[in-house]
This record gives sequence, C-alpha cells and structure tokens, in this order.
Amino acid sequence: MSYLPYVIAAYCVFAIVLGWDYVAPRLQVRQQLRAAKLRVMRRQDTIPRDLEAPLTRE
Amino acid sequence: MNPVVRWFHQLGSPPYFDRFASRWAPWAYVLGLLMMAWGLYGALFVVPADYQQGDSFRILYIHVPSAWMSMAIFALMALYSAIALIWRIKLCEILAMACAPAGAAFTLITLLTGSIWGKPMWGTWWDWDPRLTTELILLFLYLGVIGLYNAIDDRRAAARAAGLLAIVGVALLPVIHYSVTWWNSLHQGQTISLFGKSHMDASMLPPLWWMVAGTHVWFVGSLLSRARADNLRRESGKDWVARLAGATQ
Repeated sequence: MSYLPYVIAAYCVFAIVLGWDYVAPRLQVRQQLRAAKLRVMRRQDTIPRDLEAPLTRE
Repeated sequence: MNPVVRWFHQLGSPPYFDRFASRWAPWAYVLGLLMMAWGLYGALFVVPADYQQGDSFRILYIHVPSAWMSMAIFALMALYSAIALIWRIKLCEILAMACAPAGAAFTLITLLTGSIWGKPMWGTWWDWDPRLTTELILLFLYLGVIGLYNAIDDRRAAARAAGLLAIVGVALLPVIHYSVTWWNSLHQGQTISLFGKSHMDASMLPPLWWMVAGTHVWFVGSLLSRARADNLRRESGKDWVARLAGATQ
C-alpha cells in the first residue's frame, strides 16, 4: 500500500517549519536595524533644537 | 595569548559577535541545506521502500533527526544557561535563549511528523504513550522558556529566570530517552544507534546520517541568526548598532 500523501504531508511540515526557522530571525534582525535607524534619525532631528534652546532663553 | 583564547574573549564583544554571526550564519544555512538535500534525495529516491511499512518509513528520515535535535538543543540550552548563571557571561545568555525557538521548531516537527506516521501505522494520530507525552512536555518546556524570557523587561533577569527553567527541565531528557525502555510503549524501541548496532539495514542508514549532520549544521546557522537578533535588541542604544543600521539600510 502506498502512503504517499502521508509522506508528502510530513515533508511539507518539515519544509514549512524550517522555512519559518530561517525567515523569523532575519525579520528580527531587519526590525532591530530599522528601529536603530529610526532612533538615529530622531536623535538627529532633536539635536539642533536642543542647541537653539539656551539661546532663545537668553 | 593563545589565539583560541583570544578569539573566545573577542567573541564576547557584541560588535565582534555581530560580525561573526552575520558572516558565518549564511554559510551554515547553505551547507546544512545542501547536506539535507543530499540526505533527502537518498531518503526519497535511492532507498527502497520498507517491506512492512512501505513508503511511510521515509518519514523516519526527518522524524528521527528532528527528535535527536529537539533533545540535543535542550541540553545545549541548559549548558549555556548554567555557564551564564555561574560566570555571568552575557553571550551565553544570548546563545541559551537563541536555542529555545530552534529547539521548539524541531520538537514541533518531531511531534507532527510522528503523528502523520502514526495515522497509517498505528491507526491513530495521537496516543498518550510515554514517548509522545514526554516529547510534548518538552515542547511545553521550550514554550515556557520562550514565554518567560519575553515576559520580563530586564533582558538579563529574564535570561536568568528562563535559564533556570532550562536547567531544571533538562531532567526530562533521560525520561524521554528511556521512556520506551521503562514503560510499555506503543512507540518502538531504539532502532538506530550512533555507536552500537542499528536494527536497520545498512543500506538505509547513509541518508539518515546526512540528515542528522545537515540538521546540526542548519541549527548552527539558526542559532547564530537568532543570537545576532537578540544581541542587536540588547545593544539597541549603542553607537555601533546605529552605525550598522546606517551602513546596511
């Protein structure tokens, strides 16, 4: 008797889970780097205002 | 200083580890994939069907390596956690916590492929057999470690708490291994032995060893990638991460 559908299902499970195992950390790294870049951009936006602040008070 | 010792100390530096992981993880993935592809080719197209189980025995070539990985990764996670707890090495905390999702993935594969094999062979998708039940508990332990690590804001305190769970949980591993010996089990006993005599025909073994080696190398890639992501998360406020983000995006 052929159990081909069961074999295909099992190998599909293997491929899907390992596919997730490959993709998930790459997405996390990308997310962390994007967050870091946004932080840098926010910091750059705030620096000129901070420098001007003491002058306006004077 | 001895070059190996120097390299070990350098690896503790977060920027150095990031460069190391980003450089070697893709190679580990590619090498692991090639080894598994070769193993799967043998498993699906070279090895003859089993005289009793027919083609369904081919599920063994993904089920057995995944089951071994599920236990080996847990042991490694506990080892890293113990080192992190005793010597407070941050990189070991990161590596221990990076083991958990990869180990959970292999445990899930083990349970699902075993279930798919069980339906035609045992006539049921699931049975509360000692081996199956202890493997399910292992999955819950992995999920517990992942959950605990993400539930606490302080990364180092979270890694210590989750690491402690991993160390306690390692007691389950011999129970999983010997469950087929200690209790009357529907699950078959030990068929394949790394060092002793295997109860499988020698012609059926080479694809299995390729798969075992391939899953190990794949795991190295997964471990490095996940550890790199966690390392970046912990170091998110540092200048080197900002420079890296500027350079890569």
